[in-house]
Amino acid sequence: MHGRVRDSLVLAACLLAAGCSRLRPITLQQVSFDEFQRRLAALRGHIVVVDIWATWCPPCIERFPRMVEMHRRYRDHGVRFVSLSVDNREDQAAVEEARRFLQRQNASFDNYLLDENILKAFEKLDILGIPAVFLYDRDGRRRYRLTGDDPRRQFTEKDIEAALQSLSTTAPEME
Amino acid sequence: MTRKRWWGPLGLVWLAGALLWAGKYNTTVDIGRKAPGFTKLPGTDGKTWSLADFQEDVVVLVFLANHCPWVRGGDKDLLQLVNEFRGKSVRVVGLAVNLRPDDTMPAMKEHAAKIGYNFLYLHDPTQETGRQYGATRTPEFFVLNKERKIVYMGLLHNSPAQMMRDGAVHHANGEPTQHYVRDAVRAALAGKPAAVAETRAQGCTVEYATR
Repeated sequence: MHGRVRDSLVLAACLLAAGCSRLRPITLQQVSFDEFQRRLAALRGHIVVVDIWATWCPPCIERFPRMVEMHRRYRDHGVRFVSLSVDNREDQAAVEEARRFLQRQNASFDNYLLDENILKAFEKLDILGIPAVFLYDRDGRRRYRLTGDDPRRQFTEKDIEAALQSLSTTAPEME
Repeated sequence: MTRKRWWGPLGLVWLAGALLWAGKYNTTVDIGRKAPGFTKLPGTDGKTWSLADFQEDVVVLVFLANHCPWVRGGDKDLLQLVNEFRGKSVRVVGLAVNLRPDDTMPAMKEHAAKIGYNFLYLHDPTQETGRQYGATRTPEFFVLNKERKIVYMGLLHNSPAQMMRDGAVHHANGEPTQHYVRDAVRAALAGKPAAVAETRAQGCTVEYATR
């Protein structure tokens, strides 16, 4: 009986929390660049949004709730969201902060921590800095590379949403 | 030809021009290009400064942001760079172009005083200097020679440092072994080109206001 009450309470709490209905634990998995590429390849057949971020990046932190919100709206339209933290994996306090942040944000998607030297990581990812967002089509081809590399044209949330709209034939209306 | 039809060819010309001027990493300027000027930017010293005010043979511009752990981590190395060229005809100038309250005055003054910045630290509230230099990272360095041409841009050295949560400084590649800015300054003082002229800057992204 007590178990049922507890389960009901947990369910009620989850229903109240936006996006918690999937009851998916929020984890942060440390992966090498190659392993990350393999995980991405395994998502072929879906449109994939990769958000490259770190706890030391204020624009990334400020944008993250919007990513969670987009995930909520697009997840039933064949879109998978993936976060990739480039926090220093040797800085345990930063890694723990990243984990807690993802939990607070209820980021119930695939969350990875890149196990690479940051200079090499940026080289391999072909970015100058973060925030950066990549979008892959259903065939696993990178179709959009949204960065802040050009002062004349830094990306915004609207660019992410526009890219999603162009890749998905069943995308919900833009909000 | 209608006005609309001009956009295609004009766009191509613009793109070709942009690519011509862009560096390997920098999307806006390239090595050998005349350094964009700046005029009457307020400094943490209470005065205003223009690029034309500096009479030294070599000017090092570094884009900074107080909040950024890559700036905080590299502060000590930056002070050391300034000290290294003390007595030489070299001027180091810090530039802040972010608009976040923690990256503008008076936070800049506080940070400069706390760290003991031994160089001018200027703010450009229009962000135009950053845009013209194509500066997208903090810290990001530009070395200008006597003719005020850009002779180096990118990292200070090959091991950028990040300040960790506990305040410790972590160099990404251990002890630096290639001091790009120092070597570029020495080369410029000798009237020679830098052996390494451009590197991929590492740090926080400069946030430009949408226009």
